[in-house]
Amino acid sequence: MHEDDSGVTKKRTLQLPSMSVPLSSHEMGEVELSCLAYAKMYLHASQFPRCSVNGLLLSSSAAGGAVCITDCVPLLHTHLSLAPITQLALTQVDVWCSQTQQRIVGYYQANACASDSSPTPCALKIAEKIFEQCNNAVLLMIDGEKMFPGCRVPPIVMYERKDARWALKDKHTIMLRQWEETCSIVNQLFSSGDQALLVDFDSHLDDITKDWTNQKLNAKIMELVSPANGNV
Amino acid sequence: MRKINIESTLYSQLIIDDENKLVIKFQPKTNVFLYCISEMRDKLRKWREENYRNSEQIVDVGEELINEHASKLGDDIWIIYEQVMIAALDCSRDDLAWSCLQELKRQFPDSHRVKRLAGMRLEALERYEDANKLYDSILQDDPTNTAARKRKISILRAQGKSSEAIRELNEYLEQFVGDQEAWHELSELYINEHDYAKAAFCLEELMMTNPHNHLYCEQYAEVKYTQGGLENLELARKYFAQALKLNNRNMRALFGLYMSASHIAASPKVSAKVKKDNVKYAAWATSQISRAYQLQHLPAGVMLTSLALSISSKTPYTTAASAGVAVVIEIHGRRQT
Repeated sequence: MHEDDSGVTKKRTLQLPSMSVPLSSHEMGEVELSCLAYAKMYLHASQFPRCSVNGLLLSSSAAGGAVCITDCVPLLHTHLSLAPITQLALTQVDVWCSQTQQRIVGYYQANACASDSSPTPCALKIAEKIFEQCNNAVLLMIDGEKMFPGCRVPPIVMYERKDARWALKDKHTIMLRQWEETCSIVNQLFSSGDQALLVDFDSHLDDITKDWTNQKLNAKIMELVSPANGNV
Repeated sequence: MRKINIESTLYSQLIIDDENKLVIKFQPKTNVFLYCISEMRDKLRKWREENYRNSEQIVDVGEELINEHASKLGDDIWIIYEQVMIAALDCSRDDLAWSCLQELKRQFPDSHRVKRLAGMRLEALERYEDANKLYDSILQDDPTNTAARKRKISILRAQGKSSEAIRELNEYLEQFVGDQEAWHELSELYINEHDYAKAAFCLEELMMTNPHNHLYCEQYAEVKYTQGGLENLELARKYFAQALKLNNRNMRALFGLYMSASHIAASPKVSAKVKKDNVKYAAWATSQISRAYQLQHLPAGVMLTSLALSISSKTPYTTAASAGVAVVIEIHGRRQT
């Protein structure tokens, strides 16, 4: 596909600090993925390597212009295509978002079969529902084959809604701030054992004392993020 | 560290370190050794018998047992080699898997069981052709070898060939009707293919042979709910209730009961009595949920608000979600009323 040389060049352009690349409102179609969202998605996929996992992408910024994915909520790791728990989770997250001034702007999924990162019918259906509420919703598939340590390319394939279907997004419009710092933060989480703190909605249903909003883990990640650079 | 034996107990020594601080250092003594070994053996046995897949832990405990205390394990060592090898494959520890396999090959040179383990290692290395050849050779020798047949089906699954895996698994189950593991695997395959009717059939088989298993009831109810339509929702509600009867702490069943009862109550096709009954069931479920959260001193706020909203269909996801039940059936190409 398009990794290594071309991927490295692309990564260098993504390294530009946010200040010099203003996200103006006419730059439609741009998607920014924060360290927090990326880290939690990655941890979720790593926690259940034998299952398909999914979750929702959230944004705390106002609608219009570029999409800033600031957080994510890991949802399920079992029976992604069964309705009751998915519906329950969607409603819960929706209500929580309205209470915390966030919006659901996308959906992510990692397939159990690492070599197949194409969206499943279930992924497309849920993304459709999100698109009905948010017209620049994104569908993000995690590419299991790129999730090895030392991989220089983000293991992400993003889709957007174009002409009534989900089409691959242009890699140039996907911004991952401070990619190397993000990678190192994820590594730190693994080496400190904090990756086990991640709770998804399924785990919450198994034990309701576990917090599916992941306040503790969020705090830990934000701690690691802030010394690296002034503002993320 | 300066080791000054101030006190030497069976389990620990008190030591003064370089900064003149008192430190307890664990000092292994012979009987503490044995105590640890039997604990580790028990853990491995428990994980083996209950079919846990906590491979990282198994590798941690098992590797130490094998490397440090092999001589004290007796005949257990062979089954431990097998258990650790499979766990090692799961953790991409080919070095450990290979050494376990070598020990087993040496001890049991012509064993089909060991051959199957060799096949699993080939699978882990994604050498599916070679693995298949190995399993075929086992089956030539012994056509009733279920393990080899199931591995071949797993290869199909790993390669993404779901329909072939389903076909093979069906053929297998015609011969080996009592294989619970296979029935469950088949239900999973059907769920992934959105063939909910067939998944329900598999779960019915499992419920028949395991009437006290609340998880099968709850999963069956979820499949029925996903199929949608009034009749299926009523069945779903009944099986969620059954799951709760078997285990009153199954939160999925509780939420499922709430959601199926609410959908039935909200349906325009039901009589006033049915509506009233289901509103009652939904209200009961809400109170149980609220109680469960309050017992844990958790804010039930978000959960209950969203449930209340979903009864009155005020959130886009429930209105979309109830449409979602119908949408999911549409994938399957059949409309059920």
